[in-house]
Amino acid sequence: MHGRVKVRTTEEEKLRKEKERQEKLKVFKNVMQTIHHKRQQHEYDKELLELTGKVLASNPDIYTLWNIRREILEQIRKNNCDEEQLSKLFNDELNVTEYCLKINPKSYCAWHQREWVLTTRSDPDWKKELDLCNKYLKLDERNFHTWDYRRFVVSQCKPPLQDEFDFTTEKLLDNFSNYSAWHYRSKMLLQLYPDVEGGRPIQDKHHKHELKLVQNAAFTDPDDTSAWFYQRWLLGAVKTVTSLVVCTVTQIKTTVAFSKQVSHNYVQSKTRLFFDNVAINGDWISCNGNDHDCLWILKHNVTINDDIDVKVEYKDEYEESHVIKCLKYKPFTYIGKSDICFQNKYSQPVIEELNEQLEACRQLLLLEPDNKWTLLTTTVFLHCINAKLYHKEAMVNLQILKNLDEQRAGYYNDLISKWNIENQLPLDYEHKNLVFRPTFSDKLTSLPHLQYYNFCEIIDLSDQYLSSNILPSLKYLQHCKILILRNNKLHTLKGFPNIELEKLDIQGNEDISAEELENFTKNHNFIIMFN
Amino acid sequence: MAFTKKDVTLSEDRPKTLLLQKHSDYLASYGLNKDDYEYCMTEYLRMSGIYWSLTAMELMNQSSRMPKEEIIEFITSCQDKESGGISASIGHDPHMLYTLSAIQVLAMYDRVNAIDVEGVVRYVASMQQEDGSFFGDKWGEVDTRFSFCAVMCLSLLHRLDAININKAVDFVLSCMNFDGGFGSKPGSESHAGLIYCCVGTLSICKRMDALHADELAWWLCERQLPSGGLNGRPEKLPDLCYSWWVMSSLSMLNRIHWVDKKNLEQFILACQDPETGGFSDRPGDITDPFHTLFGLAGLSLLGNENIKPVNPTYCMPQETIDRLKLEPQILLI
Repeated sequence: MHGRVKVRTTEEEKLRKEKERQEKLKVFKNVMQTIHHKRQQHEYDKELLELTGKVLASNPDIYTLWNIRREILEQIRKNNCDEEQLSKLFNDELNVTEYCLKINPKSYCAWHQREWVLTTRSDPDWKKELDLCNKYLKLDERNFHTWDYRRFVVSQCKPPLQDEFDFTTEKLLDNFSNYSAWHYRSKMLLQLYPDVEGGRPIQDKHHKHELKLVQNAAFTDPDDTSAWFYQRWLLGAVKTVTSLVVCTVTQIKTTVAFSKQVSHNYVQSKTRLFFDNVAINGDWISCNGNDHDCLWILKHNVTINDDIDVKVEYKDEYEESHVIKCLKYKPFTYIGKSDICFQNKYSQPVIEELNEQLEACRQLLLLEPDNKWTLLTTTVFLHCINAKLYHKEAMVNLQILKNLDEQRAGYYNDLISKWNIENQLPLDYEHKNLVFRPTFSDKLTSLPHLQYYNFCEIIDLSDQYLSSNILPSLKYLQHCKILILRNNKLHTLKGFPNIELEKLDIQGNEDISAEELENFTKNHNFIIMFN
Repeated sequence: MAFTKKDVTLSEDRPKTLLLQKHSDYLASYGLNKDDYEYCMTEYLRMSGIYWSLTAMELMNQSSRMPKEEIIEFITSCQDKESGGISASIGHDPHMLYTLSAIQVLAMYDRVNAIDVEGVVRYVASMQQEDGSFFGDKWGEVDTRFSFCAVMCLSLLHRLDAININKAVDFVLSCMNFDGGFGSKPGSESHAGLIYCCVGTLSICKRMDALHADELAWWLCERQLPSGGLNGRPEKLPDLCYSWWVMSSLSMLNRIHWVDKKNLEQFILACQDPETGGFSDRPGDITDPFHTLFGLAGLSLLGNENIKPVNPTYCMPQETIDRLKLEPQILLI
């Protein structure tokens, strides 16, 4: 029951209402009985249409009654009734749905019946349907059923896409807070103005135009959230390529990690490993046992000798070939890393626009330093324009946001972890080091991009704010020998993956019960340090 | 354009503790009087009503107060012999929504063999279309809710092999939007309820990797309003049922800590009716079994120890999911 306020009434009033309801119920039950009886007897006639219509008028969600009406209409159609009469029947049916939609504009059944009539009859009037959508969207500009129906009508009568795009502009200029219109606009923007040559989702000119429109909307009322989501999307609309980030070959295990999840089929067909220029055959196994994964293990029968030449070749989703040469990190251990970069890359006109808007945001922030949305947008701009250059400022802002927008402190904490790691990873990849020991001033609350560090033998995550929800991710640490989780916020070891360690340090996680620790140590054969 | 924030204010005299006994009494007496007006007028969704009540009772460890054998017999009589599908009630037509509710109830009772299982599998499989989508029934309504019904139902029966999973996943992914969310069909606006259905489908099909997790989870955590309650779309009022749709999705995304749990708990507790028992959509509204389940399930996700753990994908007790040896996917973080 949605939005029905409980009203206090007197006993007398209650009794009167109950009596009224019982009367109504009696009529309802009688009609329903007649309907079921007639259906069983296959009496698909006008009377049955009337009866079902009468009940639906106040209860448009009784789906079976709509089914009965469709059965009647189909039967009449089959019995060679003349076109005019049929057309009238279908018009009547549209009127019934319209009446029901007035009672409940969110009735799935009534909307679907309308769609059914329009696709079943031979003479649909699509113009009329589009007008109906316009009318309904004036009454409620956010009714998603009406928007869905509009898209259905448009898919049938195919007006120029530009008309629909302009319709969203009109709706937005009327009220920038119309999220439904922003949504519809996003769909058409990609269809109307894709950047086919540059491989970017949206043409520069239009990308810039949309950013300006959003700024206009957002500055009209910074507390209205609709435009901010659209802006976030525009900022993320850059070309992305999945890359193989690190390949690790040891006598025990051979793995490759990707920047994002790829399918088994992709790894098997697009990735090839060579020892001394001889391609290695084998089966790629997902580290987590799924069909899509970011870390894959190659099962092969080749003996790894010391001083061999190891390289990996792969093709990205644009069919471009890449070769990564592995270096010898220590005897029998070869690691090849790619150049990694998390920076979004925009075209020149878009980056200029972003810089201008960043300036405007900074100005606005001077006037309203406590506005969450202005500060968040400024921060996202900083990150998108040059994450490395503005890293410190962005981090400071996120700390302020944690206080300004306390409800979402968990989100900001994880974002701090993510941006810190993205800032650190390219530096770590430059060194020939088998240790991962983050020392950020902000404590880590999550472990994004952990597959990038899968080659490390020592992972020291001590003195962070990690909770037990990160435990399953440790499965990425396929080459780890010593794992240190000392002084974190683990409350249970449930979800700890099956990995082959030499030593695990979980001291200082006081919420793990002694019983659980005892069981855990019993079931694992590596050294476990706990208090 | 003038703009007013849409939210509610929690009053000082709102319920602040969990009234378990009241809720159990409310659900136990719901439908005892077969001539009750509300009860009769909701016959067209009876099967789901039974699922909401039974699951809520299970979570409160009170399911013995439900008439088990009567319910199982009712479900059996609602199965359509010809198509194999199950209807909301006797005299109504089979539909995916009620087929799922029936299977969920039977799974909790460990009694799926009370019906023709092969018939259900046949019915669900027959609803899949060339593009991977699912009809709700033979009349052709397409919606991602029905994709979720299909995979949940078949996974509970260990018969996911009966449909084309890859196509089912591809269809759901074709409904993804600019904000990382999902709507009811390709092109439809994101909505927390449908996000739950789509994320749930991907969780069962073990394809959570295909989500834009950070974008989606940010959109979801931005559903929390100052009152602590969650809405289902931007600029809408909070509603208790979104405590479930949003929080279950965030749980599957492993980012439940992105909302303020204390605030949300206060809102959920405020939606209880201390007189009648049960939960309503917003404080002060009339209660119903639907919101009662989602209030309790929401509190369970928040870690309330007086309620049994609920599985975020299935919205059923975790113990049932464990007994069936199902392992819906949770994203790594």
